[in-house]
Amino acid sequence: MSIFRTSRIMLKDLRIGPRSPIFLWALIYPVIITLVMQVVFGSLFEPKPRLGIVDQGRSEITALMSQLEGIDFTLLHSVSQLKQRVEGNDLDAGLVLKYGFDTAMRSGRKPLLEFYIGGQSLASNRIILAVTTLDIVRQVEGKAPPVEVEINTLGDAEALSILTRLLPMMILFALFIAGLFVPAFGLVEEREKKTLAAVLVTPVKLSEVLAAKAALGFILAVLIAYVTLLLNGALGSQPAALLIALVVAALMSVEFGLIYGTVAKDIKTLFTLIKTLNIFLLAPVIFYIFPNWPQWIAKIFPTYWVLNPIFEIVTKNASLVAVGLDLAIAIGICGLLIIPVLALKRRMQAIISVG
Amino acid sequence: MNALISRIAIVGSIIKKDLTEFVRDRLWILLSALGLVFYVGIFWLLPSTVDETITVGIRQTGLDIALQEMIEAEDEGLKVVLFESSERLKAAVAGEIETQKEIQIGIDFPDDFLSKTLRQEKAIVRVYVASGVPKEISRAMSSLVREIAHMISGDDLPFTEPDEQTVVLGEDRMGNHVPFRDKMRPMLVFFILMVETFALASLIASEIQAKTVTAVLVTPARTGDVLAAKTILGTLLAFAQSVVLLLAVAALGENVLLVLCIVLLAALMVAGIAMITGSSGKDFLSTLIYGMIFMVLLVIPAFAALFPGMASPWVKILPSYGIVEAMVGATIYGKGWGESTPYLALIAVWDSIILGSGLLVLKKKAEAL
Repeated sequence: MSIFRTSRIMLKDLRIGPRSPIFLWALIYPVIITLVMQVVFGSLFEPKPRLGIVDQGRSEITALMSQLEGIDFTLLHSVSQLKQRVEGNDLDAGLVLKYGFDTAMRSGRKPLLEFYIGGQSLASNRIILAVTTLDIVRQVEGKAPPVEVEINTLGDAEALSILTRLLPMMILFALFIAGLFVPAFGLVEEREKKTLAAVLVTPVKLSEVLAAKAALGFILAVLIAYVTLLLNGALGSQPAALLIALVVAALMSVEFGLIYGTVAKDIKTLFTLIKTLNIFLLAPVIFYIFPNWPQWIAKIFPTYWVLNPIFEIVTKNASLVAVGLDLAIAIGICGLLIIPVLALKRRMQAIISVG
Repeated sequence: MNALISRIAIVGSIIKKDLTEFVRDRLWILLSALGLVFYVGIFWLLPSTVDETITVGIRQTGLDIALQEMIEAEDEGLKVVLFESSERLKAAVAGEIETQKEIQIGIDFPDDFLSKTLRQEKAIVRVYVASGVPKEISRAMSSLVREIAHMISGDDLPFTEPDEQTVVLGEDRMGNHVPFRDKMRPMLVFFILMVETFALASLIASEIQAKTVTAVLVTPARTGDVLAAKTILGTLLAFAQSVVLLLAVAALGENVLLVLCIVLLAALMVAGIAMITGSSGKDFLSTLIYGMIFMVLLVIPAFAALFPGMASPWVKILPSYGIVEAMVGATIYGKGWGESTPYLALIAVWDSIILGSGLLVLKKKAEAL
């Protein structure tokens, strides 16, 4: 295999790349996905308890509630609007504070506290909102609690935001679009347009064409995944470990890309392969979004072993040693994938030779 | 009459030809089936229940009566696990010992808590919180401790509470929430429908590129026959796969006819989209890109249905909103024809717009060849 010829083919692909929609899609992907996740899904996936307040008399309760971390607070102007939003599950609960509520409470007149709960709200959210509201009301009443609460935090893990939990999905999409789609579509397109057969008439070998497609996909995958992480402010503090994890992940993506590209006889078949098998490859990402689900299921899927090290590095600053076992398994899977890649290359060679 | 029979026969022949093209590609058939198996497999692997309780470990002495209500409130979102010693409670929260259910918060009442509180003296209660527990939960548990102390020391609530029956708005689903898995059913069907859009679009695109449409039009077949055949085939393909999926994820339920009607209307819509994208694309790849644009837009209501709250007004404008809402209503909440009619009407309006546009675009394309 000639490195010179391989690099020439790769450079040619790079030069004509912008003509391909998949190549262009890979380039713009980091910006698009970051926008979509941050703007649309950042709020859609919001899991915090949601409280709405209608304050008819500038109560201190409203001011204190609005400052609470971890509760999604909405100030509304009418009771009917509040009830509508609570009933529609836009809010978990709603509080109505009538004019003079604070004064009446402090003078012992026991005003009515209207607190509405959405029928579709989770029981845990109901407890959080009810107890927190009660505590704030007591605080405004001015009566000191007959107890002192001391909070002790055990362990050092941090709660992960939904956007952090969506990171594996963004990274895997980046790796697939660049590492899997670019080589696979490139190969199939060349096969369909017969340019591959034409190239193979020259001294260029099929292995060199495959290596060139793989190299381009690999470089793009590492770059696009890195830029996606960069735009989402998720590079972590272990650059060497991250680079190694991205390299292994890009390698696995490219191998799947070569398998797809050599199996598919045309674009339609390739698309069918993608639509069918990608659910198997993408499955682990859903277990990051829902951490309460049985996590062992994610380990069944090969991509888990490249995703998890990246996730640990960027979210928990895990060292290379800490993610070593996962990466070793991923490298093992990459090693095993070479077998079908070589077998399919031989099959492709035979098909092209027959014409 | 004979003319009508002749037209039906021609349309049937075109459908047969297209279907043969599909079936001839065995890999396509095999992988489509495999795709269905994967979707169904993933569905059944997902948890079938909703965990809406906060589990709290408590170590206390002499507070049985005061905490009785809290201990018995498991169905209301709080599960209490009692511990005999502070060390075991702390170890459980730190995850150092095995417990039946993960304990993320522990409340350690000192032995003199009751006596001190009754004497209006301040006792110190330690709340152990596992790192990673959201702030709102740990704060709520601290508030709970303060409220218990208020209760023991005889402090009345400083306000009047409304009638309990008026407090919960809407159907109370506590303890009976729809699992995420069930909410995913309409989305899975929707994905199958959308993917079939690509299949029909690619068939149309390849026919246009290969100009087989022109060849067909040399025969007694008219443009209208070709269009009718494509509509029927596209609708049937999308409809059949969706029904198989619905059966496999046990989603047909009691409203079989209603669900089938929704899927049929949805299949008509995707057939229309396939005609638009298939006629517009120059090759499979550009058809795919056009299809993706539609898919990104249309999948938003399906995603929004997975999460709480009413959809934003702009989501309600999207053509797929009616499909998703009707599917969610019929397959999850058991809504019948009466409640689904507005959505069915909305889908029908969108169907006529999209399918009409699709037929028009395809007709113009076929005539221009």
